[in-house]
Amino acid sequence: MKKFLKVLFLSVVVCSFILGSIPVAFAQLAPELPRSETLMVDILSGRTATPDNFNVWAATWRSPDRGIQQLMLEPLWIVEYATGKIINALATDKPIYNKDFTKMTVKLRKGIYWSDGVEFTADDLVFTVQLIMKNSSLGYYAQFSTYVDKVYKVGNYTVVFQFKEPNSRFHTYFLDRWGACRPLPKHVFEKAKDPVTFAFNPPISSGPYTMKSYDPGGYWCLWERRADWDKTPTGKLYGMPQPKYVLYIYYGPPEKKVLAQNNHQLDMTGLTMEALRSALATNKYARAYRKDFPWVVNVDPCITGITFNTAKFPYNNKDVRWALTLSIDIVDYIGLAFDGAATMGALPIPPTPVYLKWYYGPLESWFKNFAIDVDGKPFKVYDSDAPYRLAEYAKSRGYKVPTEPKEIREIFGYGWFKYAPDVAEKLLVKNGFKRDKDGKWLLPDGKPWKITIVTGTNPAHPAFRNAFAASQEWKKFGIDVEVMSTQMEATLASRGEFDADSTWPATEPWGGHPDLYRTFNSWRSIYIKPIGEQTFGHASRWSSPKLDKIIEQMEKVSWDDPKTRQLGMDGLKIALEEMPSIPTFAYPGVVSWDEYYWTNYPGAENAYCQPYEHWPNFKYMLPFLKPTGRK
Amino acid sequence: MDFLKRYLLPRVIQYLVVIIVGITLVFLIPRLSPVDPVQQLISTIRMQGTYLDPKAAEKLTDTLKDLYGLKGSLLQQYLAFWRRLLKGDFGPSLFQFPVPVLSLIKDSLPWTAGLLTISTFLSWLIGNVLGGLVGFFYQKRWAKFLENFAMVIRPIPYYIFSLILLVVFAYLLKLFPLGGGFPVGMKVSFSWRFIIDVLKYAFLPALSMIILGSAVWLQTMRLIVSNVVREDFVVYAKNGGLKRGTIAFKYVMRNAMLPQVTGLALSMGQIFSGALITEIVFSYPGLGTLLYNAINTGDYSLIMGITALSIIGISTFILLIDLLYPIFDPRIRYK
Repeated sequence: MKKFLKVLFLSVVVCSFILGSIPVAFAQLAPELPRSETLMVDILSGRTATPDNFNVWAATWRSPDRGIQQLMLEPLWIVEYATGKIINALATDKPIYNKDFTKMTVKLRKGIYWSDGVEFTADDLVFTVQLIMKNSSLGYYAQFSTYVDKVYKVGNYTVVFQFKEPNSRFHTYFLDRWGACRPLPKHVFEKAKDPVTFAFNPPISSGPYTMKSYDPGGYWCLWERRADWDKTPTGKLYGMPQPKYVLYIYYGPPEKKVLAQNNHQLDMTGLTMEALRSALATNKYARAYRKDFPWVVNVDPCITGITFNTAKFPYNNKDVRWALTLSIDIVDYIGLAFDGAATMGALPIPPTPVYLKWYYGPLESWFKNFAIDVDGKPFKVYDSDAPYRLAEYAKSRGYKVPTEPKEIREIFGYGWFKYAPDVAEKLLVKNGFKRDKDGKWLLPDGKPWKITIVTGTNPAHPAFRNAFAASQEWKKFGIDVEVMSTQMEATLASRGEFDADSTWPATEPWGGHPDLYRTFNSWRSIYIKPIGEQTFGHASRWSSPKLDKIIEQMEKVSWDDPKTRQLGMDGLKIALEEMPSIPTFAYPGVVSWDEYYWTNYPGAENAYCQPYEHWPNFKYMLPFLKPTGRK
Repeated sequence: MDFLKRYLLPRVIQYLVVIIVGITLVFLIPRLSPVDPVQQLISTIRMQGTYLDPKAAEKLTDTLKDLYGLKGSLLQQYLAFWRRLLKGDFGPSLFQFPVPVLSLIKDSLPWTAGLLTISTFLSWLIGNVLGGLVGFFYQKRWAKFLENFAMVIRPIPYYIFSLILLVVFAYLLKLFPLGGGFPVGMKVSFSWRFIIDVLKYAFLPALSMIILGSAVWLQTMRLIVSNVVREDFVVYAKNGGLKRGTIAFKYVMRNAMLPQVTGLALSMGQIFSGALITEIVFSYPGLGTLLYNAINTGDYSLIMGITALSIIGISTFILLIDLLYPIFDPRIRYK
């Protein structure tokens, strides 16, 4: 027995000696990778199941956000939603359409080279489109086979598309808005036996970085700056990306990301609000998008809220939808959802600085005078004081908030709907609803009114938070509400098997362009399907003949035409009046940046570009980052 | 002949029946779930930014349904599945179509097998040896200490325990990495340095499983031993003047081990389903997260591939233990 214990003790000592023999400060990087020249960023979609496959042109998932879309590939055009611009990347100019939108010409940038030294030319773009049209298992097959009749080059740097039917927005399939059809290298793919199963490993890049190595387990992918970075759109437009290496790495849940960042092993990451506050409290080098409250990204081109199933009673009744909207106190709502740290938005488009300028501002006076009919009398619904009340709420919570009205509006929004439960009550009573002896609402047939709000399973997600905030507000109003958190949320929403859902209240707009076709098209009446069948339009199953006409008019004009903006405003007015979904607040992106090794991130005070490491625009941020010099 | 008819054949038949029934259930259950793999993929693609106008979404849905082989009756799909399986093919993953399921499993399996085999076996060995000693020398102070330690450790939720290890050893003391299988930028090789690094990266995940696993085995072994020590043959051995160590190891633990050997077989079979929480906490590659993501995305093929592997693994280990049992238990041999 004693001998056994002695042997056990010695084994433990020897093992500790061997394993502890490597240096104490444990770094994630191999010693030959200089930390001071490496930018370490998070992989949003998590562990890659196919780490050895870089063929993102397949229709199914290949984890493009491990650096493929952000560093390896350049698109023709890209949306820069922080500044409201469309950037010409591989294209040298915007698309040129003919009068009836049956033809589109694309002029390509000269002097761009793939990382193996072969020049990028019109051949690559033509081949990409033709290859996709021959293979239904490739992404964008549906779009190209529907619209493209012919695609051919004119010289080495011009490509012409001829369409089977007019399409004034065909170029948006190549417009990188966190996804696009990006040209592939013809000289590589033409040799592949099957372009769908072809792994494209090692890949070659049109972007400023090449793949150096990857984790066969799928947790990281390392990229190295090309020596000829100036032969890429990134280099030509913005200069040399500063980090020599970029490591995309997935540490796991938010608490692990905080640990990694506090150890200065993760420079840029998305977090939950709780994890961000922990990072800010424990790491003096950590900062958020905004240095002070509310910390969140306010340029994300996405509005959140609650969607009604307008094909189902009683949500098919506009008065009921308005009643539910007016029974929400938006300050209380945002307080519940995000402790006040969000920008309210009353339109089905995000209240980002550019949309505030293009739509919220110009529509404000109309909005202030907009009224709904309540018992034969007009009731003005807009509350322009709501942002100031939200600022007061934040102050009462101990946060530092600005006092300048302009700053308050920029941070908290321009306004929202009035909190008018008395008016909501009138609208419901008018439609046969009544309260029982306990004050709970009953349907016109006398049965208790129960609303089920379907949402996803991530408690940190804004959709989840919207669901619970709405349920609290409606419960306060006297409605029985249940929140169903399920993995099947997408399936249920598309089949119309819900009362209300926390899916986005409208399809997101482009973000960096005022055209609202992308948003409106999902509400088109031709996409409405009966409940139980999958819909391909918006989950609300709402449509309007007036909006259909606006969409048709939009299709007849270029997206740059000034008429488009007016059509956008008209469409928004229709959507607002009908209230198929309740927009609540802008997507509050939560990012954490560690300034130990790198600085000059594009924060709110310095928003030279969008802030996320998972968006393809990330490569355009890299020339502006500055190393601190720490080793 | 008697051994073949009465012992081997019934067990082999049972083994095959369990596998067929298990795999059939694995085929049916995901299909009965309302998660639609096509819808999940389209939802992911859209959530990750790709613009799918409604017309394109409709066309893509049809294409994917065709590609996934989800058209046809359930029976037709079931028969097609068995035809592929008998050729050793689980078909393509739906979410990562057309990457073969076997290829995805092959990438993750070595990590799972390596980590879980070692940690399962070590926790079994350590737990049973210590449990046996604690059960036999129950009056000693060190035995009481070990027993109480196991009692305190065991109820700690695994997630909390592993996070504590991570915070202490990787974050505060910085002795181990925060996650991964080996250092970033290092090339896979069989060099001494690479092996040491792999061991170092596997150390915390393995330690978390070994400590908690050992506590479980310790307690069960302690319970079994506390019954065995009261048996007549043990009392006889003590009265016969045999050394305590000999009685502990050759008489008591040898007999107490028998149910634990069956337990080991079950545990070893379960390594094929991975260790999800370990993989999440330690960012360790393995089958657990692969299976978890497959369930979330409704990837029927991948779910079937991993669970079928698990069923075959567990059944095979149990069959092996069943066949080897006569070696461990002479009473079976004589029977």
